[in-house]
Amino acid sequence: MPGFPWSRAPYPVLVADAGGLVVQRNDAAQALLPAARPGARLADVVPAWLATAHRSMRLPAPRATRESDVPLAGLIAERRYEAHPSVADDGTVAWWLVDDTDHQLVREALRMERERTSFLAKASSILLSSLNLGRCMDVTAQMAAENLADAALAIAPARGRRLPVVTCLRGGTPVTSQESVDPDDVPGLGEALRGFPPVPSRWLDPASAPAWMIPEGFGPVGAIVITPLPGHGVAAGALVLLRKEGSAAFTEEEEVFARLFAARSGAAMSAARLYAEQTEITEVLMRELLPPALHQISGVDFAGSYRPSADHERVGGDFYDVHPAAVEGEPSLVTLGDVCGKGLEAAVLTGKIRNTLHALLPLADDHQRMLSLLNTALLTSHHTRFATLVLASAVRQGSEVQVRLTSAGHPLPLIVRADGTVDVADTRGNLVGVLPDVHARTATVTLAPGESCVLFTDGITEAKGGPLGDSQFGEERLKRALAGCAGMPAEAIVEHVQMLASQWLGGRRHDDMAVVAISAPRTHHLSAVDGHTRGRYTA
Amino acid sequence: MTTLPPGLHLVTIDTQDTVRIEITGDLDYQTVDLLLDEVTSQLDARPGLKDLHLHFAEIGIIDSMGLSVLLMIHRRTAAAGTRLHLDDRPPNLNRLLDITGTLEYLTAAPPTGAATSQQHTEQAPPTAGTAQAARPTGPDSTT
Repeated sequence: MPGFPWSRAPYPVLVADAGGLVVQRNDAAQALLPAARPGARLADVVPAWLATAHRSMRLPAPRATRESDVPLAGLIAERRYEAHPSVADDGTVAWWLVDDTDHQLVREALRMERERTSFLAKASSILLSSLNLGRCMDVTAQMAAENLADAALAIAPARGRRLPVVTCLRGGTPVTSQESVDPDDVPGLGEALRGFPPVPSRWLDPASAPAWMIPEGFGPVGAIVITPLPGHGVAAGALVLLRKEGSAAFTEEEEVFARLFAARSGAAMSAARLYAEQTEITEVLMRELLPPALHQISGVDFAGSYRPSADHERVGGDFYDVHPAAVEGEPSLVTLGDVCGKGLEAAVLTGKIRNTLHALLPLADDHQRMLSLLNTALLTSHHTRFATLVLASAVRQGSEVQVRLTSAGHPLPLIVRADGTVDVADTRGNLVGVLPDVHARTATVTLAPGESCVLFTDGITEAKGGPLGDSQFGEERLKRALAGCAGMPAEAIVEHVQMLASQWLGGRRHDDMAVVAISAPRTHHLSAVDGHTRGRYTA
Repeated sequence: MTTLPPGLHLVTIDTQDTVRIEITGDLDYQTVDLLLDEVTSQLDARPGLKDLHLHFAEIGIIDSMGLSVLLMIHRRTAAAGTRLHLDDRPPNLNRLLDITGTLEYLTAAPPTGAATSQQHTEQAPPTAGTAQAARPTGPDSTT
């Protein structure tokens, strides 16, 4: 083509006039679009997107202006081209066609990578915000179903014979179930759940997948891949991804990505599992430490109230128990104490003390001996954790109740007399668990009908609050409060003290608070012995 | 209350055979390790130390963990043959030591070397039998 300046240009160039006829083309354009000979109608020889782009050029125009919504790029012979027009004064347009297939592929890859990174970041933040194992499994299944597959199953290691499974279909909500199946029956699942040695993701022949693995209404399965969820040194579970028949199979790249996701959800699930186990241990211990419900025993009223600290790390220090006499007419033993320190270690020591005291019940008539044996049982060279406690042996004698009280380093019991006087029990002793030898002096107190003996822990007297929030409830305030409790039944005294302490605290942090009251019933006792029922007084 | 931020502040003043530690602030379960570490390093650095004075004039709150650490310090000083002094005790500390029956124990003169080892055998893993045997040999009486 003489006079055509671009005949050797590396890009295909196609010139068409305002009427839509091909005027000229260069060698590259001839190779790309062999039919586009000069004189041919553009619409017949080039893909529709290019013909439309040509028509959209407003003619005549000194500069290219076009309807903005017409794309200037499209496919030619399975590759993607951008079309760049240059418009001549007579309305002919030279179309430069630039192959941007590779550019487009890179852009697409970058977009995918960005999407995946943001997906992983989102997955991490959602997963790590929860320490609930069930919720972590739900999130894992749901996010995997939305982003990685048509359906996903998050499977936790078996507890007993049951396999916890969360199933989620794309667009659906996660469903939790317990499958009574042996994971080793599914190729790759048993290994993934054991977590060691680390196994790669495993393709599963859809035909060999067990029925429980296929969500209801899923239809024919095209591909299944099982990916382990690695935890902190242990397997947190396995992730099963399913694709429908007819949808694209998993690429190697997608599988790598699934493992990145699995690493995150595995870490979250194992953290949640560890937390759940720790909470369970604490709960089991705490349940053991819960004080008993008290009632009337052999004509003596007992009432107790325990308000554990709301702070997890401060709970576990206080305890109380009532041991009814083995023989009717013998004293019942009340123990109330406070273990130094808080949390699990204190809870363990508390359990040890309660058990030891229980075993020493046959010696309950000799408080000094009981404390001495308890002290020796607790001594250890490892620490100087100690306990303070009060032993109280109470027995009904006629209408009165006789109480022997021994403090082992504990705040002294208070006696509420019928006339509103509050006495301090005259007992002293060493704390237990540290000193090589302990001594204690026992006080004997007689309670007339309507009188009470109140045992408490320092959580009450050291409750910090009041009008300015910085002073302790204190023993004097407690004594004044008890002076107003003269004649009240044991339960009412205990509730009253706890209520006052709570008011004083006004919602602030506090330690465990325990109160026990031992009372001589004020009114005639209807049931002769061991009345467990309510309404045991005459009106 | 002191003007210092909450927490524990220690000043150690040492002379030839005496160490004095001034304690300012709260001695509770969050701060006890600080005091124990200081005492332990002083005892380790000075074998044969005669007296350890803990100075309590500026102490704030002392709770059961605070008392526990004093008992541990006593155990360490007794083993080292050092006498423990609890100086300038404010009323709240005195009350705590009084109620728990620990004042006499903590401030008693250290036992001799022989007594120390005997004390340790008494604290060895006990059985009911040894407990009863050990009890009458106890050195002091609070009654």
